[in-house]
Amino acid sequence: MPRSDGARTAPRKASKRLRRLLVVVPYLVRHPGTPVDEAMELFGVSEQELLDDLDLLFVSGLPPYGPGDLIDVDVQDGRIWIGMADYFSRPLRPMRAEALALYLQGTELAETPGLEEAPALSSALDKLAAALGPDALGGLPARVAATAGGEVEWLEDLRRATIERERLRIEYHALSTAETTEREIDPEEVFVALGNWYVAAWDHRSDAERLFRADRIRSVARTGERFEPRGLEGAGRPLYTRGDEDLDVRLRLSPDARWVAEYYETSSVSELDDGVLEIALPARRLEWLERLLLRLGADAQVVEPKELKDRVAELARRTRKRYV
Amino acid sequence: MQPLERLVNLVALLLETRTPLTFEQIRGKLSEAYGHEDVNSAKRMFERDKDILRDIGVPIEVRSVDVWEAEQGYTIPRDRYYLPEITFTPEEISALLVAARAGGDRSAEDAVRTLLSGAEGGIMSALAGSTGAIGGARDARLPAVGEAVASLRRIRFSYRTARGDTSERVVDAYGLVLRGGRWYVVGRDVARDEIRSFRLSRFASDVADEGDGSEPPDGFRAADHVQAGPWGPGEAKTAAVVAFSPEVAWLATKGVPAAEAIGTRDDGWTLVRVPWQPGESLARWVLSFGPDAEALEPPELRDEVVSRLEAALAAV
Repeated sequence: MPRSDGARTAPRKASKRLRRLLVVVPYLVRHPGTPVDEAMELFGVSEQELLDDLDLLFVSGLPPYGPGDLIDVDVQDGRIWIGMADYFSRPLRPMRAEALALYLQGTELAETPGLEEAPALSSALDKLAAALGPDALGGLPARVAATAGGEVEWLEDLRRATIERERLRIEYHALSTAETTEREIDPEEVFVALGNWYVAAWDHRSDAERLFRADRIRSVARTGERFEPRGLEGAGRPLYTRGDEDLDVRLRLSPDARWVAEYYETSSVSELDDGVLEIALPARRLEWLERLLLRLGADAQVVEPKELKDRVAELARRTRKRYV
Repeated sequence: MQPLERLVNLVALLLETRTPLTFEQIRGKLSEAYGHEDVNSAKRMFERDKDILRDIGVPIEVRSVDVWEAEQGYTIPRDRYYLPEITFTPEEISALLVAARAGGDRSAEDAVRTLLSGAEGGIMSALAGSTGAIGGARDARLPAVGEAVASLRRIRFSYRTARGDTSERVVDAYGLVLRGGRWYVVGRDVARDEIRSFRLSRFASDVADEGDGSEPPDGFRAADHVQAGPWGPGEAKTAAVVAFSPEVAWLATKGVPAAEAIGTRDDGWTLVRVPWQPGESLARWVLSFGPDAEALEPPELRDEVVSRLEAALAAV
């Protein structure tokens, strides 16, 4: 169990490093000549941390700690060799919480429709469950059921265009404006986030980098034109970035609408009485908020701007006319 | 001597020993680490080191080393320490890494790292060609609920229903279901003595462990208890019909796997049939399309949409 008193800070740091060593060393023993940068990337450590850890191995080993009993570490031309460490040639088992987290996250991703890695992921999870057994995963594998979502249209077209650098003409429904419009895009990366597929592309309509959700694309047409990639941020980019022209919208959410505060990017959240939450939400357009508020009904109130309040009322009036 | 060096040597020693070692023997072999003149302070350091090892998951067994059980010896059992041999293809490892990095929980990545040594060569190129995936911590309670399901525990949490009522629930966790991108836990609601499903995103508190739960009934299948539309779980026995404008009809049917276009109205609007039963918040979903959707059947759904619109207009 982790402890929180300050006196434990040094041991905790040591335990984190120890755990890492007991996992990194077996990899290096079994993959002789691993490049330093490969180890850094795979194990999420800096070069300095890695070299410090290796330095320490030099003076470790078995009694009586003579030259023939110590672990042999050789770093040359950016590659690493470790010998004389048979007892560290297999890693420590993952902790139960880590194994459970991996199993659940893997199950979740494997059910993403259209994921090319899904078969490899499923077989990896089966191997993991079989090898770790009930100690690590308990009865979990037999008690988890996941159903794949439906097909994702256009994914193949988007992937192909990304690889071949072909400009596409798409009809896209933007939630922010609640409109479907036609535009030309230069797609650079296709990725998945929270179970949804996105394409990061240069949008010629707005002359800017944009993310498009695959399930909001109505049609895709090839143009036959090639483009030069601009090195867009793609998956590294937050799904929403605040712009200078954004308005601050203030809403009061009753308990049943609190999910809004978690789902959308907020600039402030404060707790009022009776579980009511007041949030400030940066927004470039109001159209999507009108529809969100119509959906939330009495569970959300607009504090400002007044314009939004009027627009929700107008939308409600127009919608009400359908029911006469 | 650095604490880390002492710990590495201790792990190596206890892994390699054929018979359990007493503290005196360990002190003799690791004299640079525990060879203090004051035996008590050496012993205290050894106890702290054992705690650290247990914290990071190194199993240490204590066994009597003599027939009178007077002396205790320590060893690290290899079968509990070492990860069993699992060979992964580069594609499998790379897929696991993508999954671990896509989740909100960083500990999954640590689990993958323990598996890397069993990977065949070529991980780096498999990774370079992998799908980008980013995630978030949408279901912060998933690890705790996963643990409860793994060990059939009883849990207590505060839960908000689709209608907005919040109440305390005590549930024997039986299974987890992922449907439509959302996680549900299925189990016996102790107060109601019924099997129910609970969406994790509706948990309004952390999960408290309440001890051992119960065994699921024979033939139990968690998935049978979750039938989810975009408006919530529940077995749909009836259906609703909603008309959508040509602008959004394609979008409306796309988001709902069970939705089915059944015809076109004279004005060009598409009629869509969706599984639904009263009590589910389909009205909200219809309203999210604004004037581009009209709930047609059954009358209760139409009435609910209208009364929500009336309420919105009255509030102005």
